[in-house]
Amino acid sequence: MFSPTAIPKFLAVAWLLPLLGFAVEIFAGRWQRDRKDRTAAGLAVACIATGFVCSALALFTWGIHTGWAALAPSAHGEGHHGESHSAAHDAGHDEHAKADDHGHDAEHAKAESNDEAHADHAITGPLTGTFYTLARFGSLQLSIDFYIDSLTLVMFTMVTFIATCIHLFATGYMSEELTDDYVDHQVHTRNGGHFHRPGRFYRFFAFLSLFCFSMLGLVIAGNIFMVFVFWELVGVCSYFLIGFYVERKSASTAANKAFIMNRVGDFGFLIGLMVLWTYFGTFSFGAYNPEATGYGIASGLKVEAPHEGEEAAPTVATGLFGMARGSDGQLRIDQDVDGVATVVMTQADDTDLLDAEGNHRMIPYVLLTIAGLGIFAGCIGKSAQFPLQTWLPDAMEGPTPVSALVHSATMVAAGVYLAARFYPMFTHEVLLTIAYIGCITAFVAATIAIVATDIKKVLAYSTISQLGYMMLGIGVGGWGAGLFHLITHAFFKSLMFLASGSVIYGCHHEQEMPKMGGLWRKMPITAFTMLAGVIAIAGLAIPGTPIAFSGFHSKDAIVANALAFTYANPSHFLLFVVPLVTAGITAFYMFRLWFYTFAGKPRDHHVYDHCHESPRVMTTPLIVLAVLAAGCAIGGEEGPLYKLITFSQPAGVDAMDPPPAVAQTTLPGHEAVHAVHSQAGMYALIAAFLGTGIAWLVYGKGVLDPADVKRQLSSLHTFLSEKWQFDTLYDVMFVRPVHVVSSWCTAFDRVVIDGFLHFLSRLTIKVAHVDRRFDEGVVDGFVNLMADSTYSVGRSFRVLQTGKLRQYVMFIAVSVVFLFVLVFAFFPRGSSTSAPEADVKVSSRVVPRPEVNRD
Amino acid sequence: MNFESILTGVMNDASWGRSLGLFAPELILCVSIVALLLLRLVNADRWLPSYLIPLFASLTALGIAVYSFFQMHGAIEGIPTPGTTQTMFTGLLAYDSLTLFLRVFLLGFLALVVTLTMLSGIPDAEDGPDFYTLLLGSTIGMMLMSSANHLLILFLGIEMTSVPSYAMVGFLKGRRVSSEAAFKYVVYGAGAAGVMLYGISLLGGLTGTLEMPVLASRLSALLGPGGMNDPTSRTVALAAMMVLVGLAFKLSVFPFHFWCPDAFEGAAAEVGGYLSVASKGAAFALLVRFLLAFTGGTSVDLTSLNLALGVGLGVVAAATATFGNLAAYSQTNVKRLLAYSTIAHAGYMLMGVAAMVVLLNGPGGVDAAAKGEAATCIEGLLYYLAVYLFMNLGAFAIVAFIRNEIYSEEISDYAGLGRQVPLLGACMMICLFSLIGLPPFGGFVGKFMIFASLFQAGKIHMAMWVILVIGTLNTIFSLFYYLRVLKVMFLESRPEGARRARVSFMPSGAFVLLVTLPLLLLGASPLVNSMSDAATRVASMLVAAVR
Repeated sequence: MFSPTAIPKFLAVAWLLPLLGFAVEIFAGRWQRDRKDRTAAGLAVACIATGFVCSALALFTWGIHTGWAALAPSAHGEGHHGESHSAAHDAGHDEHAKADDHGHDAEHAKAESNDEAHADHAITGPLTGTFYTLARFGSLQLSIDFYIDSLTLVMFTMVTFIATCIHLFATGYMSEELTDDYVDHQVHTRNGGHFHRPGRFYRFFAFLSLFCFSMLGLVIAGNIFMVFVFWELVGVCSYFLIGFYVERKSASTAANKAFIMNRVGDFGFLIGLMVLWTYFGTFSFGAYNPEATGYGIASGLKVEAPHEGEEAAPTVATGLFGMARGSDGQLRIDQDVDGVATVVMTQADDTDLLDAEGNHRMIPYVLLTIAGLGIFAGCIGKSAQFPLQTWLPDAMEGPTPVSALVHSATMVAAGVYLAARFYPMFTHEVLLTIAYIGCITAFVAATIAIVATDIKKVLAYSTISQLGYMMLGIGVGGWGAGLFHLITHAFFKSLMFLASGSVIYGCHHEQEMPKMGGLWRKMPITAFTMLAGVIAIAGLAIPGTPIAFSGFHSKDAIVANALAFTYANPSHFLLFVVPLVTAGITAFYMFRLWFYTFAGKPRDHHVYDHCHESPRVMTTPLIVLAVLAAGCAIGGEEGPLYKLITFSQPAGVDAMDPPPAVAQTTLPGHEAVHAVHSQAGMYALIAAFLGTGIAWLVYGKGVLDPADVKRQLSSLHTFLSEKWQFDTLYDVMFVRPVHVVSSWCTAFDRVVIDGFLHFLSRLTIKVAHVDRRFDEGVVDGFVNLMADSTYSVGRSFRVLQTGKLRQYVMFIAVSVVFLFVLVFAFFPRGSSTSAPEADVKVSSRVVPRPEVNRD
Repeated sequence: MNFESILTGVMNDASWGRSLGLFAPELILCVSIVALLLLRLVNADRWLPSYLIPLFASLTALGIAVYSFFQMHGAIEGIPTPGTTQTMFTGLLAYDSLTLFLRVFLLGFLALVVTLTMLSGIPDAEDGPDFYTLLLGSTIGMMLMSSANHLLILFLGIEMTSVPSYAMVGFLKGRRVSSEAAFKYVVYGAGAAGVMLYGISLLGGLTGTLEMPVLASRLSALLGPGGMNDPTSRTVALAAMMVLVGLAFKLSVFPFHFWCPDAFEGAAAEVGGYLSVASKGAAFALLVRFLLAFTGGTSVDLTSLNLALGVGLGVVAAATATFGNLAAYSQTNVKRLLAYSTIAHAGYMLMGVAAMVVLLNGPGGVDAAAKGEAATCIEGLLYYLAVYLFMNLGAFAIVAFIRNEIYSEEISDYAGLGRQVPLLGACMMICLFSLIGLPPFGGFVGKFMIFASLFQAGKIHMAMWVILVIGTLNTIFSLFYYLRVLKVMFLESRPEGARRARVSFMPSGAFVLLVTLPLLLLGASPLVNSMSDAATRVASMLVAAVR
């Protein structure tokens, strides 16, 4: 069918189409007839949907060329990718069968992949290479690279798919903007009215497209510098989208907050970049071709002897991952001459990497840790981890589709994605930090979510909490588990955001849950799709049967990893206990949300009466997403999704990792995790059911009045609803001091600098006055004097020029005589008389007399 | 020896054919003069525009001159060039790099002037053949001047140049001013020629030869010690001065410049432009040749006489520049103003010649260093001439085109023209800036080279530094009157009811642009180096011949 080299091209198309869409849409305000035109939305949807098709094609092509080795042990279906794959497969079946000698297709591959065919597959590892080289400074090459493995492909497919759903949903949700006179009821003008402005439908979709472009660029990026560039682009896009209702003060503040918080993290990111560049001399993840100037795949394909007339395979250099760890996935820790622990860099064939002088290239262990912490600081900002988590709830000021796209499935996922992608560069200390940060975040956010009443805020805190889970999973060595949860969470969280958007849309922008209740009668589709999401996130399952929603499988995997980690390192038992408790809290507050909103009796009849189900364009994505939220993780860790992800997990994650000399923790291997899996799953399920039960008792059944509890624990409630006082703390710690310092600076500026400048300007004026007098008197006087005198001399010469011929002729005679007199008077009279100096010298020379007629 | 035997002798001389070959450009001009006159007899001028023949002839001759110039400097493979000067016609004419440089200069200029007259419509169809006969004739005279190797040719060349010039100045028949100017020019020229002839006869009598290459050695033998106390020295000084008077007349050097403003005012602008550039170029070449003929030999007395001569020339040059610049102040007529400007520029160029004489007659004698520095002087002079060609022709051409539109050459009538004909205004500005000597225009480079050589000459005789200061001051003086023209053109507004000037881009504007553009190229482009390289080659070949 398609050759492996087509995979980067497919992804490039999927990646660049939204950029093209953005370039067109952003000018839609100019080329559209009026603000009621939906063309921009159509274009955006078309771009991202085509991107999804391309991503799916790329995944399928990849699968064929790896012989579906990723799915090998199990013979189950292909999970959520099934639809697209079989469609694509049916279309290309015939050609494929002819073109490929092995006759691989989706079915055969599974049967054959274990056998002799395995070695013949064209793709042997991550596809790395260069799209375009931007610049080269010495040994530093800045290029647009790609690094494609199964994780990249799964992320691409997931992002484009969810983005397509959200785009579709948004065409309905944002339709209020389709007007030339949009009234923003939340912005009050000075005369008491509301703010009027033209609709910004097209602009919303332009930003959405740009956002998708940035996110996909981040995922496909083949070097950490490119990641950084798109990282910032993602930040900028979220800034645009959060501040979409820019006239609302809350929105613009939230946008600023999100951007600034991210910058704090990015500062660490930059430090990490510098350390990496200094010691490794490259930004590239995988093997790369240092001579590449254009499109080319550097590694990942089976190397064949070059055919006649073809160029030999390009010489490739080892990327960051290969340099930091050997092919067994272990850091090579050694001691340098000063006894400091260092990591020896290796080449692709596990031999030591030498520099030009033949010395071993190495990086101090501490600095590698610092680099990892720096990069992770960027992840903290982007994924809203403790202590930079406060921006995400505020960012709910953006339109709900934005929340769904930016703050559940993609942008915040970027931090987790990078942490996973960069896993080989992390030392044990960094991983432990990640685990603890994730653990704290998960717990803090979950507790806040209990008391939140804004439907979107609850979801926002739950997002933070779940991101904490993912980080925790990665931190305790559950690389696959963290990413597994990333994907499942992307589905159910975008589903829930869209469902909440549907509620908000149906309730005419009412977001407070206490005013809702009993809505399932009015909007059944929304209610039951939301329920699917809630069950998924709560991690409910029927014990003993394979019936389980996606969240159960992924959370189960994380908890299992955490438990295994705790067994290996008993001192870090909190890493298991806290997530377990949090799992219960999660189930509690999610069901609280559902019961509050959809079940029970209507609490505000005004809201209830005007409420309605959303149009089909909005409910269709909900249904699709609900199906996937429930079933995407089918099979759990034996299912296709998990296997697809873990196919590209870094070497060494599987096996028990004994602590190196410098590290204190042991990472559990695959076997250890497997051993505790059922035990952990049981604990998690019990916690989830407990949480669910309490929620049902309190909010469904009404056994306990929440208001009573609130009164009883008022101080705790205040503490939680004040978000653990983080905003207050940051206000005291950073914002106020900055204000104080800035007021000092202002005062200094006013008094000292401005004073000095004013003094200078007054001085200049004084000097200028003096200068003017000098200029007018002396300089002009001199010039005028000169001009006047020369002019008068010139005039006097006119007298000579009489025009009378007789005088002219006389002048000839007079001049000749005059000149002769002059010559006679001044001509040197020989050496005896007082001759000029020059002549004395001449005379002193002894010169032989020449002959006459010597020619 | 009767005539026939002379003729036979000449015809049997092997060098005769060779000389004729080297003389080809001049011969082409001669043939075209004959053709012009003959065609007139059969009334061919009715249907054949009279400018075609001179244009064709000048371009052909230019082509040959350029070819032989590059051939001599080795750029074209051909006859191996001997390092020393060759002569033509039994030593009457010199055939060296200066000859060829001036040929290219004069013929190129001739082609430009013919084009200008063709565009500006002077002369009219009826007088065309007469005018071009005169023009070509005087050009031949100038080419003879620039290659003169014999005092007789020196005189003949000057006269052959002057006589057609007299007629051309008076060519605007019926205009009283024009006729008067021509008459003054004739009488003044006759006077100057008389003085010069006297000088030549004195020299011939003293040395027994009129051949310039042997003058130096003869004089070295003749001159006795004692400077002015020596009667021979006195006579030689007098004779040299008298010959120089004749050249000074052609160069319009103070105090033999009186004809110049009157003649320029009376003549058409085209003729003025022609006379100011071409006759100056030829006269400077002749002056250099004459002075180099005096230089050399090993006599201390001749050297000291020459040094005095050089300093004297410098003084005259400084006086000329100062006079020209100051007198230009109060002029109201553009052509008259430009006439004084040409006097001033003759002064600047003469400074370069004076520096050359001083450098060649320093205490070290004619050694390699002196030769090198003298070559720099000639290089500067030639560069200045090349730039001067374009800037002066440009200015006169603009005056001619504007005259055709507003029928006036008074400065006051130029008010506001800078806005009405912006292209001509801008080109006029460039030409005048270049005449002032402002960078980045060619005039700056030329002036800088001459001042640099003056500085070198100052190390031999302090007077040259004084002259350098005067020259620099003159540059400042000249600012005032050149800028006055620009001020009128650009800062004043065109008065109501004044004639509207309309100059189309094709062909007049294009011609002006063509003439103005080289000023930029020769001022700020790699061409500066190419041009000065060429000038250096010419100068060093010329100086190398001095013994």
